[in-house]
Amino acid sequence: MTSHLGLMVIFSLFVSVVFAVLTRDDPREQIKFGARLFGGFIGAGILMGWLLYPLPL
Amino acid sequence: MRATPADRTQTTSTPYLICALAWFLPGAGHFWLGRRQKGIVFLVALSLMFAFGLWLQGRLFPFEITQPLVALMAVADVGVGLPYFVARTAGIGAGDVVAITYEYGNTFIIAAGLLNMLVVLDAFDIAKGRK
Repeated sequence: MTSHLGLMVIFSLFVSVVFAVLTRDDPREQIKFGARLFGGFIGAGILMGWLLYPLPL
Repeated sequence: MRATPADRTQTTSTPYLICALAWFLPGAGHFWLGRRQKGIVFLVALSLMFAFGLWLQGRLFPFEITQPLVALMAVADVGVGLPYFVARTAGIGAGDVVAITYEYGNTFIIAAGLLNMLVVLDAFDIAKGRK
């Protein structure tokens, strides 16, 4: 497993699960918040990747 | 969610003992406080994350005061509790600095320790009746 994207997805999954369970008590809220966090991590990672793509100029 | 009366009766337990337990075994503090599902999730997620970091050739950093960043990473590593000591005892976690996944592994291990510290603080709040 050396794929940067794959490792980022796994890392995001772990962190999202822990944060969602830590900050929400209702299981449905945990799933919703965890999914939003996970999507945010992946989206931000891909966005940052594209923004940094032209560097170094 | 506010603490229920049933939860508040548990505040008589010493919060610091719960913190120690929560640190030593991820999720054990929540389990003790009656939040068993959370405790099991923390135990599984944090242990897996730590093990994944070791599998990625991450390193368990030594306490070197002369190198402050290494010492800080060592503190973060120890944050995960029992899995750290098991790995140390088993001689796992030497790290392979030339492995392509070395830094990824370190990130997983460090993040697992830091997340467990947050879990410990959450257990402390619950034990104090703040949540």
